[in-house]
Amino acid sequence: MKKQILIGLFSLLFLQSVFAAGTRYEMRVDGLACPFCAYGVEKKLKAVEGASDITVDLNKGLVSVNIAEGKELTEEQMKKLFKDAGFTYRSMKKFPL
Amino acid sequence: MKDRPEYFWNNLGIAGLVMTVLLWSTASTAAPITFNTALPVAQGEFLVREQLIVNQSGDDPSAANRDRTASAAVTAMGYGINHRWTVFGILPYRDIDMDLKIAGQKINRSNRGLGDVSVFTRYTAYQNNQPGQTFRIAPFAGVKAPTGKNDARDNLGALPPPVQLGTGSWDYFAGVVTTFQTLRYQVDAQASYRVNNEANDFAAGTIARLDASLQYRLWRTSAEGGIPDYLFGVLEANLVRQEKNSVNGSNDPNSNGTRLFLGPGIQYVTKRWIAETAVQIPVVQNLNGTALENGYIVRAGVRANF
Repeated sequence: MKKQILIGLFSLLFLQSVFAAGTRYEMRVDGLACPFCAYGVEKKLKAVEGASDITVDLNKGLVSVNIAEGKELTEEQMKKLFKDAGFTYRSMKKFPL
Repeated sequence: MKDRPEYFWNNLGIAGLVMTVLLWSTASTAAPITFNTALPVAQGEFLVREQLIVNQSGDDPSAANRDRTASAAVTAMGYGINHRWTVFGILPYRDIDMDLKIAGQKINRSNRGLGDVSVFTRYTAYQNNQPGQTFRIAPFAGVKAPTGKNDARDNLGALPPPVQLGTGSWDYFAGVVTTFQTLRYQVDAQASYRVNNEANDFAAGTIARLDASLQYRLWRTSAEGGIPDYLFGVLEANLVRQEKNSVNGSNDPNSNGTRLFLGPGIQYVTKRWIAETAVQIPVVQNLNGTALENGYIVRAGVRANF
């Protein structure tokens, strides 16, 4: 019984490290004003390694994405990504997951 | 070409207008229904637009009692080369039907098939992005290649140019389009010019055109923190001035002129697709001689991101 409890605890700790690790990036982007255009941004972010849970808030001009642990988004990378999509990157905030 | 009765030439204003309409109402992002926009196509991305167009002309001032319906399914594709350059390709499938009277006898002439292919490029010369809005200016230029059949015949002989699928000529066009887009509304305006060259002893008149579009958001889905769907009410205006056609080197006095269309429409926009429809109603038709008047132009189409 003790052995089973220990295995269960270790499994929980392992799962937590898998699912909770990483960073959520919240980026302010100018020029986003229509749903059809926003799709290009989503598609480009999906191609970034480790990216998941992408959301685009048109009203606030915010684009958010989760990046897996061990990966990172840089300002230069995002400037180019949004420029290629036709928009202007302004700033970035990071939140640990 | 000389076996074609003169009244056929009078329709060519309509033919030129139809071709112009087909070629300049191209694929793009959320945008006007009857012409282009300056909004971006993301680098390396495709979008496709399919638009059905029915252009009806009648109310013939001549004794020929002409009545012409030109329908087209226009497929257009856009590709973003980079953040400034976009290329577009357009291929219409056309179905043309014309009734008229010759010596009191009603006859019909018709044709269907692929029309002329157009390609053009657009360059975003200026853009100013602000929170929730963008302003852009983009010149464009392109060419229409004579890929459509232009020597079709029926049992009465060679079909006249208004019933041919292609013009047989290489034609060139250029212009500039500007867009101001916010979360609530969008305004687009375009000025363009088109040179139609001679083929088979015929040249359609050059075309100068001014277009404007207002798209106002009437409704949106609730998508807290995400991408909602938008429903836009659309009102567009198209001022089209076409010079007289040239037939065997002489101007046709019964061809073309100036037309002003007003086009109310509606557009439903999601992040993956757009569905839209509009009716262009001629409110001014200052035409030369007995040139055939437009009745209406109906458009319905979809666009999709890939």
